[in-house]
Amino acid sequence: MAIEDKVFSGDTLRSGYRFQRHWDNSMAYAFIFAELGAGMYFVSLLMNSLPGMIAGLVLVSTGKPYFHLAHMGVPSRSWRAMLRPDRSWISRGLLGLGGMIGTGFLYVIALAFGDQLGVGADAGVVGLLKLASATFAIVVMCYQGFAMSHSTAISIWNSAIIPMASLLYSLSLGVAGALILLPAAQAGGLADTQLLLLLGLAIMHVMLLHGGWHGSPGARTSVELLLQTEYAKWFWGLVVAAGIVLPGLILWMAPDSRVLAIISGLAMLSGFCSWRILIFKIGVYEPILSMNPFHSAN
Amino acid sequence: MARMGMVFDLKACIGCNACVIACKQENSLPDGVFFTKTLSEEYGVFPMANRVFIPTICNHCEDAPCEKVCPTGATYTREDGIVMVDDDKCIGCSSCSVACPYDQRTQMDAENFLNGLFGKGEITPFEEDGYGRYTPGTVTKCDFCSQRVDVGLDPACVVTCPTNARIFGDLDNEHSAPSKMIRERHGRPPLPEKNTKPKVFYVN
Repeated sequence: MAIEDKVFSGDTLRSGYRFQRHWDNSMAYAFIFAELGAGMYFVSLLMNSLPGMIAGLVLVSTGKPYFHLAHMGVPSRSWRAMLRPDRSWISRGLLGLGGMIGTGFLYVIALAFGDQLGVGADAGVVGLLKLASATFAIVVMCYQGFAMSHSTAISIWNSAIIPMASLLYSLSLGVAGALILLPAAQAGGLADTQLLLLLGLAIMHVMLLHGGWHGSPGARTSVELLLQTEYAKWFWGLVVAAGIVLPGLILWMAPDSRVLAIISGLAMLSGFCSWRILIFKIGVYEPILSMNPFHSAN
Repeated sequence: MARMGMVFDLKACIGCNACVIACKQENSLPDGVFFTKTLSEEYGVFPMANRVFIPTICNHCEDAPCEKVCPTGATYTREDGIVMVDDDKCIGCSSCSVACPYDQRTQMDAENFLNGLFGKGEITPFEEDGYGRYTPGTVTKCDFCSQRVDVGLDPACVVTCPTNARIFGDLDNEHSAPSKMIRERHGRPPLPEKNTKPKVFYVN
């Protein structure tokens, strides 16, 4: 059945595919800030780039909570969200987020003002903070993908590729930030790493589209929405061309140019933001009865 | 312990929406919020075209995905299998709404309470009294009219249905009406491939 023949019932009383509209653009922005910030912090931590770490922490501690609270129905009760880490990825993520912000800022303070505070960068407690903040950053990079893939409701999300996408985008944006912020001597080798990450992103997209196309009717419908409707131009133009192909070409042909690194980073960011918004928009629930029982009776 | 469930007889449902109205009245649901809906689907080609009505409701799944993802424990299952939402614990994050394959959860926005049932911004004394049980911003859903079940009554939609298209009872009791109907008419849960083990079944 072609996409134009499918019934999208929206809020009408017809049976058909229903778009998920519970997680809107506000949630997409929260996801973007978390993955961008955690990726920048993690890569900067590995590269010992203090400005990158600060930028990452600021992104995670401002944009992420702001957009999450804006989306939440009862923001005053948001603290309750950390109560069930045994079963909910939202809880685990919130604890990871709090842990990353707490240990991250302490680590940054220890690095920046360690001499005045009498704590050397090689002190055991500083190493512990570094390890803890890196671990929490990995949780923040991945948990949103797990929160999406955990449930079977929206078929295109119910895939192990979704958390992998979160991790890959986080890391690649972190590397893009490091390529912009770090001096050329310190960033040596990052361009090759970024090319590998971009290749990983391309493979991830192919896997997701292939899996969706050959998956359940809901997953296939989501892929059709992405490739055959108005979303296609955003997917091919921003997610693929600007987010993967253009940065790949830039890094392959001119890995040392700072100006081109900035252009490449901005292009990747536009691709990532588009991807986050699109993956929310193409999520559909399947018709309540996957087969009309009257059809089966005939 | 009982395991409460419901059966929808698709051959009996005439799409009159009396159940929808009864539900809204019983639960004082504000404008734009429904715990049950009757969807319609057309099939066949003229002159053999026809339409089937598909009542929908929370399926009170045994392996409820909404309960698993709830970060606060607001969604829980009672001993009789009814999946409930504790309004005092819900933070309105909508993760349960996204996790429900049947799209049966609704966020109660503050605007829902302002329009009034007649959409003119006038709140009747009945609405004023009923809205007190909800907190704006929280996510709600059908609870099989648990306040009625607790005193031995059937849910409002079941009592109201003029064609007995909704049958409610204990699925663990093999002599109950829904158990017999599921057995004799090969009842089928919605979207069984989602592995949620719904306690709502459809028969034709």
